[in-house]
Amino acid sequence: MKVKKGLAVLLAASTTLGMLAGCGTTDEQTSTPDASKSAGGDQDTIVIGTIQDLSGSASEAGNANAWGVEYAVRQINEQGGINGKKLELVTMDCKGDVQEGINCYRLLVDEHNVAAIVGPPLSNPALAWVDLSEEDQVPIVGHFMDERCTTNEETGEPYPYMFLAEPGCAQQSYCIAAYGLEELGCETFATFYNAGLSYAVMHAEPFAEYVTAQGGTIVAEETFQAGDVDYRAQAVKIANANPDAVFVCNYAADNALCYDYLREAGYEGIILGNNTFQSPFNTLVKSDVYDCYFLMNYDMENPDDPSYPIIQKYMEETGTKYPIANACFGYDATMVLAEGLKAVDDPYDGEAVAAALAQVKDAPGAAHSITINPETHRTIGMPMLIAEYDKDFHINVITSYTLSEEWDT
Amino acid sequence: MSLQLIVNGISLGAVYALIAVGFALVFSILKFSNFAHGGMISAAAYIAYFFYSAFENPPSLWTTLIFTAIVSLLIALLLDTLCYRRIRKNNSPNIYYFVASITFAILIEQILNVFFGKMSYGFPPMFEKTSMQFFSASFSTMDLVVLVISLVLLAVLMLLINKTKIGLAIRAVAIDGRTGRLMGINSGFIILLTFALAGFLAGVSGTLLGIKYSVYPALGSSMMVKGFIASVIGGLGSLSGAIIAAILLGVIEMVLVYYLGSSITPALLFGIMLLFLFLRPQGISGKFAQDKV
Repeated sequence: MKVKKGLAVLLAASTTLGMLAGCGTTDEQTSTPDASKSAGGDQDTIVIGTIQDLSGSASEAGNANAWGVEYAVRQINEQGGINGKKLELVTMDCKGDVQEGINCYRLLVDEHNVAAIVGPPLSNPALAWVDLSEEDQVPIVGHFMDERCTTNEETGEPYPYMFLAEPGCAQQSYCIAAYGLEELGCETFATFYNAGLSYAVMHAEPFAEYVTAQGGTIVAEETFQAGDVDYRAQAVKIANANPDAVFVCNYAADNALCYDYLREAGYEGIILGNNTFQSPFNTLVKSDVYDCYFLMNYDMENPDDPSYPIIQKYMEETGTKYPIANACFGYDATMVLAEGLKAVDDPYDGEAVAAALAQVKDAPGAAHSITINPETHRTIGMPMLIAEYDKDFHINVITSYTLSEEWDT
Repeated sequence: MSLQLIVNGISLGAVYALIAVGFALVFSILKFSNFAHGGMISAAAYIAYFFYSAFENPPSLWTTLIFTAIVSLLIALLLDTLCYRRIRKNNSPNIYYFVASITFAILIEQILNVFFGKMSYGFPPMFEKTSMQFFSASFSTMDLVVLVISLVLLAVLMLLINKTKIGLAIRAVAIDGRTGRLMGINSGFIILLTFALAGFLAGVSGTLLGIKYSVYPALGSSMMVKGFIASVIGGLGSLSGAIIAAILLGVIEMVLVYYLGSSITPALLFGIMLLFLFLRPQGISGKFAQDKV
């Protein structure tokens, strides 16, 4: 009986300790500054934070992103830092969860006193930081492609502290829609996406908007829900509508299923994809891939592309077997942030850093120079690549597409 | 309604049936819903994937299925030893089983998340021809394979339960374990055997689901909900009921999604489940399980 009681006390104690240790449940991956300092770092360092999904449903992308941030910081420090000050990075894991994301944000701002934050390629956690970043005057640069993370939907004004370092969902969707209409000659389209994923919704709606505005027709709009695994009924419906092209715009695993279901349902037309048709899509898809054109940010498999050495380094250091664009996303966001920090006297003056970020021109990205549009806080004039797979699943980049000024917003 | 929809529904139902039967087996004996079965399915999908990928010349589907089913069987026995045996020994209330099964389901998923959640895994195509034409409809080869394997396995299981002495013992323990013991049945062994069978089914389900979809930590839990609905509609604890309900559920889901969309369908499916609980709690053919619902 005594043993049982002892065991119970031990279990209770370990549970309590576990709960206490789990408060905020964030994983700090790099050295942290002394929390007692009034501002992050000392005179020779600037502390920045990064929040990524390191163990949630998008952790494959999140870990690549975190590596990209860390690599950029390493490179900046090797080249002398920002105005003579070294960057110090604190990495936190939001597990793809909004509340965890807020906890991570609070710890970075309140405990680590960071000057700025590099955000994840996830829109849901980022949406929750819009108000917080304004209250605390902490600039956040990330890859949350949902436009609602960077501009106020009602007023159209940019949120002062939120910045996106790649084209947004709408910009990317316009590109692939334009390619379908102008280059492939398609007239009728369908969309097939996860209605529970804001990233997918924010692709599908602008795609339909562009197609309709340019004289095309949307003949079917089929959706599924987060957590669903079987979308064959929707695929059959699209196949029955027989559009010239179907736009599929989810994360990689869902894209592979959508593609397979469409082909199984007998659809033989063109399939257009967003920028997650790269690996691991090719390892997940079961059907023959043909007439499938998708967006890419970087020509990662081309040794002549500037992003190639970064991707190779990422694969070498992490043991990852295939290229993941997120390594470059993390790199790009950090480089944009570095430009903003360089332009100010006090990197901890959030207002000044945000104002400088809004004016960033030609920041050295992994493949392209990055300019931030002060009207939207998103990139402007940044090209997207249109690619396809060959029979051996090598990616062929067909063309590079830059939107006209009217649509590049 | 197109032929394509019906056959797609039946093949989806066959997957649900495999899950629902694993669920119903344990419920019939121990009178609790073993939610850890979902975690077992996810674990099995990973085992199958890594076994398949470990060889330069990948083994056949059948070798992968048998290997995974046997390993899952052993894991199920381990799970029973770690998780449920003590509860059984102490004659603890059923709520303990319920809590333990949910805890293990989450634990297995979290462990998979920690070790494998960072990558997406997909089996390479296993068949030269990925789809085939049948009258006006086109079907995935994998769907047909899943359908055939599920139906054959479920038929063998029904024969085992209804036509063998072991099956008779399982049914006796399911009705009343104590009386079964008085009649000389080793109920402890029968319980272990039931867990082993459920583990074997989880192994087969996990392998087939992993090949059909992709391998990720929440694979089992995402399918578990439908397996649970099927086992409730079929009559908790009734194997034949679970199979019929699962096939029906697959077809109904396919038709509802086609005509009404994916957002309203889950609500309607849960509505059907509630309707059964109110109007016919013993399920479609739950004469056996009426006292357990």
